[in-house]
Amino acid sequence: MFEFLIAGISTPWALLVFTGFTVGVVGGFIGVGGGYMVTPALVVFGFPGHMAAGIDITHIAGKGVIASIRHRQLGNIDWTLAMTVVSGTMFGVEMGVRILDYFKEQGLSTVAVLTASFILMTGLFIYTQYETRSAARQTAKLESEGHDIGREVVATDLPRHLQRIPLAPIIRLRTARVVISLWVIVLVGMFTGTLAGFLGVGGGFIAVPALVYLIGATTHVAVGSDLVQIIFSGSYGALRHTMEGNVDFLAVMFMLCGAVFGAQFGSIATAYVRGPAIRFILSYSLALAGLGALFPLINQLTGSSIPLLSALAVTLTLGQMIFLCTYILSLLTFALLARRGRWVPIWALPFLVRYPVARSRPVQAAQAVPVQEVGGER
Amino acid sequence: MNQKRAGQALIRMAFWAVVAVLVFSFAINSYLSGEMTHWYYYKASTSGYAINDNSFLAATKDKPILLQVVAADQIVGQQAVKVSKGDLLPTGANGVIAEAEVQDGKRVALEGSNLKVMVPTQIKEQSGIKYSDTYRHKGIETNPLSGPWNVGVVLLMGLSLGMLAQAFTDLFGLEFKPTGQTRAH
Repeated sequence: MFEFLIAGISTPWALLVFTGFTVGVVGGFIGVGGGYMVTPALVVFGFPGHMAAGIDITHIAGKGVIASIRHRQLGNIDWTLAMTVVSGTMFGVEMGVRILDYFKEQGLSTVAVLTASFILMTGLFIYTQYETRSAARQTAKLESEGHDIGREVVATDLPRHLQRIPLAPIIRLRTARVVISLWVIVLVGMFTGTLAGFLGVGGGFIAVPALVYLIGATTHVAVGSDLVQIIFSGSYGALRHTMEGNVDFLAVMFMLCGAVFGAQFGSIATAYVRGPAIRFILSYSLALAGLGALFPLINQLTGSSIPLLSALAVTLTLGQMIFLCTYILSLLTFALLARRGRWVPIWALPFLVRYPVARSRPVQAAQAVPVQEVGGER
Repeated sequence: MNQKRAGQALIRMAFWAVVAVLVFSFAINSYLSGEMTHWYYYKASTSGYAINDNSFLAATKDKPILLQVVAADQIVGQQAVKVSKGDLLPTGANGVIAEAEVQDGKRVALEGSNLKVMVPTQIKEQSGIKYSDTYRHKGIETNPLSGPWNVGVVLLMGLSLGMLAQAFTDLFGLEFKPTGQTRAH
């Protein structure tokens, strides 16, 4: 047990290191801060709610730096994309907070936030499941035809339409290999920022699908660039929360010690899996987070007459952290086994990149598959 | 060539390890020495009595706990210090019992030079639900400089740990080069 002087509670420090590790794995892999998982977990450990939110956002800023360093090495960061999204996100967050204030005045903030969370996460879950399964089928088919395919397979046409909008200035995202109007990225940033500000989260789980399905970035670049964006949003959140007295700094440091290992595993795992695998896990994360919002929503609408629902939501939150972490580490293990010619489950095969990362060379999309590249170099 | 790169990686690893250890030690030391806690429990945001709520958590209406009101820079044991809004809090304080609460006299009352605590928590009401809450963190204001300080240290810690991890993998030849962003749809 460790006595946290500022929070005024005693809790095992190892629990915080473990939480930092699990969320580091998930965050490094799918490009989210993990606020929707960590805050309830810290409440379970005994931290007051306001302090759980503050500790979480502060640790997210530090973890963002750790994961971004590794993603930079992996070539997953498009700096132009990241900084453009940041500019839109900042406006969006402010708008989201004002919308939330409106609902607060109406006395409907909790119901509005939980309803929006549930609808958004369920919608994203259904779409990502549909798209990811379709992409996995395509991958399996192309591989069976003997095509050498790269890391990314996307089964959506939406980015192509947005990339055709001729609104100056048109910018070229070299790493993401997308040519698109700057305003489209800013608007996407504002949209995700508004939702993030309204829902009170970092917004990674909204931004990553938005960058893939709207901008047309590959999942790996979306994850890496979003983590850079998280450094800015996390730092701003940390600043505000600290000044409000919501941060026990030592708890943050313990979580960072776990996150340094977790973020390495999560980030490195992205080099061994294809884009659909990342979106698949993001999808499950959304489903579980959606359920996590549904239980307290029912609890609220039924006048807190079913207290079991709150306990169920907390159990679900802790369960999903461990489940997602195990799932990601399993995929990494399977990828390593596959490269050594060992047995791996059939379901995992379409998700794994089976050429050694260090010796691989970029494969042109035209060579890779007989289809047109989304937003390719022009 | 490989030996040269391994040597460079080792130097980078040692450098960032030292930075990470220094930052972590500095943070731990600031925390345990009470300096950081004092930054957190910095000023009174309301007039009342600065207290340490651990000293009266066992108080009940039948067995109230008396806190001696003193004028001091530090709270030791069962003591309270009268503060006005904006005053620096004494060392050891972790909350302020508002003047209004004392005047109300239902849970805390002033008896001579003692503060008589009968109920160790305050009662709050939200959305029609009443619940009790401790006096900890109440009526306090945090040092505004703690915000930039916290963010700076967290980012430095993140940078040092991230660079340390990168140097570690470089040292063992685990290089993760970009594979190119190929895609199909």
